Amino acid sequence: MAEARSTKKGAARAATLYQPLEGRGAGDGRSVEEIRAAALEAYERLEAPTWRRSGFWTTSLRDLDLDALEPRHVEPGGVPAVVTEALGDDRPAGLLVQRGATVVHVELDPELAARGVVLSSLEDAVREHPDLVREHFMRRLTYDRHKLEAATAAFWTGGAFLHVPDGVVVERPFQIAYVIDEAGTAQYAHTLVVAGANADFRVREYDLAGEFEGPALHAGHFEAYLGDGTRARIAHLQDWGGDGQEVYDVSTHFARVGRDGHATWIPIHLGGRLTRQHIELSTAEPGSDMRHRGIYFTEEEEHLDLFTVDLHEVGHTTGDTVWKGAATGASRASYEGLIKIVPGAQESHTYLQTHSMMLSPRAKVDAIPSLIVETDSVSASHGGTVGEVDESQVFYMQSRGLSRHEAVRVIVEGYFEPIVVQLDDEGLERLVRERINRKLAAAEEDIEAYAAAK
Amino acid sequence: MGPNGSGKSTLANTILGHPAYEVTDGQILWRGEDFTEADPEDRAQAGLFLAFQYPAAIPGVSVANFLRMAMNTKREEPINVKEFGAKLKEATSLLHVDRDFTKRHLNDGFSGGEKKRCEILQMAMLEPKVAVLDETDSGLDIDALRTVAEGVNTLQRDKGMGALVITHYQRILHYVTPDFVHIMLDGRIVREGGPELVEQLEARGYDWIREEVGALDG
Repeated sequence: MAEARSTKKGAARAATLYQPLEGRGAGDGRSVEEIRAAALEAYERLEAPTWRRSGFWTTSLRDLDLDALEPRHVEPGGVPAVVTEALGDDRPAGLLVQRGATVVHVELDPELAARGVVLSSLEDAVREHPDLVREHFMRRLTYDRHKLEAATAAFWTGGAFLHVPDGVVVERPFQIAYVIDEAGTAQYAHTLVVAGANADFRVREYDLAGEFEGPALHAGHFEAYLGDGTRARIAHLQDWGGDGQEVYDVSTHFARVGRDGHATWIPIHLGGRLTRQHIELSTAEPGSDMRHRGIYFTEEEEHLDLFTVDLHEVGHTTGDTVWKGAATGASRASYEGLIKIVPGAQESHTYLQTHSMMLSPRAKVDAIPSLIVETDSVSASHGGTVGEVDESQVFYMQSRGLSRHEAVRVIVEGYFEPIVVQLDDEGLERLVRERINRKLAAAEEDIEAYAAAK
Repeated sequence: MGPNGSGKSTLANTILGHPAYEVTDGQILWRGEDFTEADPEDRAQAGLFLAFQYPAAIPGVSVANFLRMAMNTKREEPINVKEFGAKLKEATSLLHVDRDFTKRHLNDGFSGGEKKRCEILQMAMLEPKVAVLDETDSGLDIDALRTVAEGVNTLQRDKGMGALVITHYQRILHYVTPDFVHIMLDGRIVREGGPELVEQLEARGYDWIREEVGALDG
């Protein structure tokens, strides 16, 4: 565990691969179409990216043949089975489903619509709510840091727009699902969430794959702007399937918390062929507070590259980040978590911890918590652990009659459980547990081999 | 009984099949069956139980849920909610344990005394044929010690459980009356007898045994 109360430029930056967005944004009053044109120009100029951290970590998209992928437009109507399976029977406040390049289904509780809530495709919102969209669209997202980001900004179709006006309190979640169910698909997704003051709501993004074999791409943007006093509970479930489904996912997610506002953000990454994710939470006004909890579980040949930013833009803000991951098979997982406190943001208090569990001798995990603190009078600390299944725990449970596999399942479930319960939704919690168990069962041989090797 | 380092915990762990211990000589027979190479879970399912000296903490799983899982390993059909609830009530009252205790994560953040009680609670729920209690008495205050002893006595009396009580103090033996006493020294059982052996030991200490054994070996 390290504690930092001053800037340590060289030391803090040496090991880090990624930079925070830190206030940069393309949305400067330009229209959506103007930004699209500028992004297209950037797309044509930029090469497919490779990210390399000194020696031991590389994320490359050079193997991905972008020209072989294209947006697939489908007939609207119908909710794909993969969505209904994941979402269960509970009636949400609203549901939007995008399949490939097309929004195929939108529903919103009419009572909420009457109170001014909007849930629509982003395409529709550009026409129907031009002022709201123009004010917020890509205000804090960029299009020219790398080619995939440019592609999202240039080629997005469909998309999701959620507007929760001042004072609206709704317990049931808004659900936004992006589905890929055909090989060769390039899905460029964009979700924009705009909430007024003193609202309280939940929003979830699901990234799901149907049955298919072959490569596909999801390049997505998610941005949320929360008004003063607003509380938002954001969850993100990414499960791009396993065997045969080679989904590449390069996405940037951003949320800005208002004065005395609260955001909880719980991303659950259950895999894809290659994922490169940038998640940035900004506590941007005095009194704003964020709780960030994340889970990842990688298997087989999967490659996961996560970068999260806890950005304090003013003083008197608080943050708390906890990420937990596990890796089986020959998977690779890297988590880089940055706390950034800008000059003048005195009296910010924040903490970041990351834990990884290795479940296979062939898996590799990397955990890099880092701090950039450019002011004084703050408390910011971080810690990280990389561990394995504790054999004394396994023997303890075996001595009570549980098999080795059951014991490992209990340990891994128990390890994730404190985060899973914070989803605060029985159906979603059950889904996450079930998927983690399925992955553990698939990795049983590997886990045994690892124990035997020790 | 035996002094520190005499091999008592090694014996306990070996009986349950701890992977860190290799049996190089001899056999472990359980009701005529050779258990020397059996997996720990098979020994447990057959009715062996170990109350650990240092129980592992399992964060994220409650005592009650863990008990249900462990009980189900010995049954064809999962135990129903009502039956489980009734048993848990019985066991918690026997051991003077608050019901909320069973909602806490297994041994996670437990005090030394709570861990020992939790071991005995598991024993009461699992109803083993033979329980090995590895220094369950150490670190317990007198009230807790009485409760634990009462638990052992009740199971022995009502369920016919056998208990191998490992200790290096005489204290617990004021509350649990042994049928046999074995003294272990340097990895060997060097004396066997009845409860009177405890009294002799209390009066004369382990050095007395050491001298006697030394005299015999010499």
